Amino acid sequence: MTNAGHRITDAHECSQLNEMKIDMTGLNMLSGWTTNGDTIMIEQMPIFGGYTGGLEETAISDVATTLGSFALFSGNFHLDGPIHIRWNVTTSKETLQVAAHAAAAVDANTDLLLANQYYPAAGPCTEMCLLETANQAITDTGSGRELLSGSAAAKGVVKDKTTGMEARVMGEAARTAAGMKVSDLNETIGQILALYEKGFVSPPEGKTFQECYNVRTVKPTQEYLEVYDKALGVLRDCGLPIKH
Amino acid sequence: MTVSKALNVFDSFDRFVMGKKVREDTWDYVTIPTNAMNMKEKWSISFDDKIIPEDDDLSDRLFHAGLEMLAITGFYNTNLGRVLSVTEDEILEGIKGAPKKIRLGKGNERVSCKSRRGNSSRKPIIQGGPTGAPVSEDIFSPMMQSYARESVVDVLVSGVLNTVGGHPATTNTPWEIKATLAEIRYVREACSMVGRPGMGI
Repeated sequence: MTNAGHRITDAHECSQLNEMKIDMTGLNMLSGWTTNGDTIMIEQMPIFGGYTGGLEETAISDVATTLGSFALFSGNFHLDGPIHIRWNVTTSKETLQVAAHAAAAVDANTDLLLANQYYPAAGPCTEMCLLETANQAITDTGSGRELLSGSAAAKGVVKDKTTGMEARVMGEAARTAAGMKVSDLNETIGQILALYEKGFVSPPEGKTFQECYNVRTVKPTQEYLEVYDKALGVLRDCGLPIKH
Repeated sequence: MTVSKALNVFDSFDRFVMGKKVREDTWDYVTIPTNAMNMKEKWSISFDDKIIPEDDDLSDRLFHAGLEMLAITGFYNTNLGRVLSVTEDEILEGIKGAPKKIRLGKGNERVSCKSRRGNSSRKPIIQGGPTGAPVSEDIFSPMMQSYARESVVDVLVSGVLNTVGGHPATTNTPWEIKATLAEIRYVREACSMVGRPGMGI
């Protein structure tokens, strides 16, 4: 079977540990993949408010760990994901700032391939979840990242609370933001952020995949399509000319 | 100083073995915060309210702060309790050898992930999936299909099977390995079911 198993052209993922650490399990996996010529994605999610402390210190550590993935561990691309210690999300103002500043710094000085991953607070089939996801996609695209990976709605910890619709908004927001002026994107990001950041205290739980889709036909429910359309309207009002 | 060659994972392991012994709590609570704070001061790193930086000089200083952070700090191996040392020249040599482009997937679904440089008009690669979130066994394939059928999605990222054959996929047990292999099969099945069998995963 041609497309069975993990191929060289699939992403083989290894995680660093917080902060600037790795274990032997990671090194041993990397040694096999390196020898085999596999495509290697190395992940690290710097914690804002953790060992490094503040915004700038976390961004400095983020740049260091990114460079380490390539210079020490033979990575082909680096999967970032600055996470907020209080809210456990990647979509807060602070974590978007850390991600964007680290990406822009590495992008301006190298040709390294940079990715970011998505952990919004709200669950699927909610406007907040779609706005959070779109906002991070705009940020990642505008700061020069090459790959967006997501999205783990409901902070990625609740069983079955992820669906393809969140990836749709991530991709469409990225497609729209690509090539736009960064100053315009910053305006838009600020407006969208203001609409959802107060929701971190008690984010809407949303619905499970089984409630969002017909599991047999794998089509989203009318309810989710309507929530999606409404969220696109909000994004347009905030300055992102997203089409569909 | 010119380096003989870029490090690879085997060189890094040897450096860990030869490295200085450090307690992990010292690394976490002293080494990392102290060095990050020193780099912030040395390179005058201060963010304003902008989410994406518009100050090129700040981006350059942040790059050099991160580069120096890695060179003065090294990397910690939690099993060996030792620190790898690396020079700035070795880091830069390693960066030079990293790919500017990779290919993900095969056949009609193969995509090229290339360096974008700033906010290029070329959209990033979209890797759709639950990104490690837990997923029930009975809906794993349909859920992955929901990503694979989105035209804007280029490649997939898997979720984590909650159980395999009804057994909890507990970390560091044989069930975890079985679950990981089952995930790959389910994801491949999802790609085939939507007519995109070559998608990168």
